[in-house]
Amino acid sequence: MNRRGGSASRVWRWPMVLAVLTVFGLLSALLGQGGIWWALSWAALASPLVVILACVWMRRRAVVVADE
Amino acid sequence: MTRVTFRKWFWVHKWSSLVCTAFLLLICVTGLPLVFNDEIGDWLDDGLPYASVPAGTPNTSLDHVAALSRQMYPGQIIVSIFVDDDEPKMVVFMAPSWAAFNADRKSGHWIKFDARTAQVLKQSKPLSQESLTFLGTMLSLHRDLFAGLPGELFMGTMALLFVVAIVSGVVIYGPFMRKLDFGTVRADRSPRLKWLDLHNMLGVVTLAWALVVGATGVMNELSTPLFALWQQTDVRAMLAPLRGRPVPAESELSSPQAAFDAARTALPGMTISSVVFPGAQFGSPYHYLLWAKGQQPLTSRLFSPVLVDARSGKLDGVVAMPWYLRALEVSRPLHFGDYGGLPLKIIWALLDLVTIIVLGSGLYLWLSRRNSPAAAADAELVASHAASLPALSREAAE
Repeated sequence: MNRRGGSASRVWRWPMVLAVLTVFGLLSALLGQGGIWWALSWAALASPLVVILACVWMRRRAVVVADE
Repeated sequence: MTRVTFRKWFWVHKWSSLVCTAFLLLICVTGLPLVFNDEIGDWLDDGLPYASVPAGTPNTSLDHVAALSRQMYPGQIIVSIFVDDDEPKMVVFMAPSWAAFNADRKSGHWIKFDARTAQVLKQSKPLSQESLTFLGTMLSLHRDLFAGLPGELFMGTMALLFVVAIVSGVVIYGPFMRKLDFGTVRADRSPRLKWLDLHNMLGVVTLAWALVVGATGVMNELSTPLFALWQQTDVRAMLAPLRGRPVPAESELSSPQAAFDAARTALPGMTISSVVFPGAQFGSPYHYLLWAKGQQPLTSRLFSPVLVDARSGKLDGVVAMPWYLRALEVSRPLHFGDYGGLPLKIIWALLDLVTIIVLGSGLYLWLSRRNSPAAAADAELVASHAASLPALSREAAE
């Protein structure tokens, strides 16, 4: 793979994964019959929120490490 | 992407965002309580509680509820009866006359009955005299800024700009992030850089959700013209053969309960949620119009209109819904987030809060540009990224 392709896949890997999870979460509660489909929907749609917490937490840790 | 293309998309992103940001902030803030519409509505409800009756007690007849309503308001007309499938209630909408109602829907009022005992639980004043409820105020600020159809179209345009801002934001995200790891937040340099990184990260992470809620928001704002279009094409064509026939007087009307039963028999497996009486602008002058819906999570959002002759009580047919109204119906749950229990609503509210931060940080990035002319400040922002991006400069040179 050339350099540009590699960089695009690096930039878009996580956003694509989260977009697919979001769409899955939106549809699973709408098309599924409750129960497991609701639980899967909650988990999938919560994934962007988890990623945000992880990014913010890693930044905090990076700042602390830099200060030490 | 060349530098020129990048600058063009950057311009689109900046201006589509700036124009809609103030309204989008209002939409996001008022949307927060609206996500919990049912919960807050139940909590603020000051009507009488439902009677405690043995489980499985059948509903009273629509004829009985209609007769009680006419006794309470002699001389008035019944516009429609709503039969809830969630709660044991029937709501009768009345108005002084069809002429008054078709001229101003707010001349109408409603009576809420216990569906089993036919006890009156709550009544409204004519809607034009009702004081605004908290949720009504939130909905108006969210949907039309108290301006009716023009307000709906305006807010729909703002939502469309929001969609444009998301798409252009995605286009410029790539060049911005070429040299950065996903989710990088450079907190150790300037606050402006930190908020730029947060804006990019929060925006791209919630991208699909914001795009769906934004696009379905545009769709919802088109509901008035879409229903009017359907009324003037399909419905008009269907009623054309009947034109000129005398409209049934109230004394000639067949039983609404019989119409309800006829529709239920014709559509097994569906729930009839309301009966619109003949005379409404959005119905037929000769028929009861019944709205039937499915019982699965998705089909419960898809309504089929059923026509029952209001003189003979005979079923006249199930009307096909055009694709654009089906699209509108599907876009409702995807906008409201009310189809996956309370956890889904909480997630919806949290994603809404993230969107508020994305909007706020975008506004901050624009306001915090130096006191230099705007064009120079943008150039600086673009340059600060292009500088760290030899690939971009090289491409531009090629």
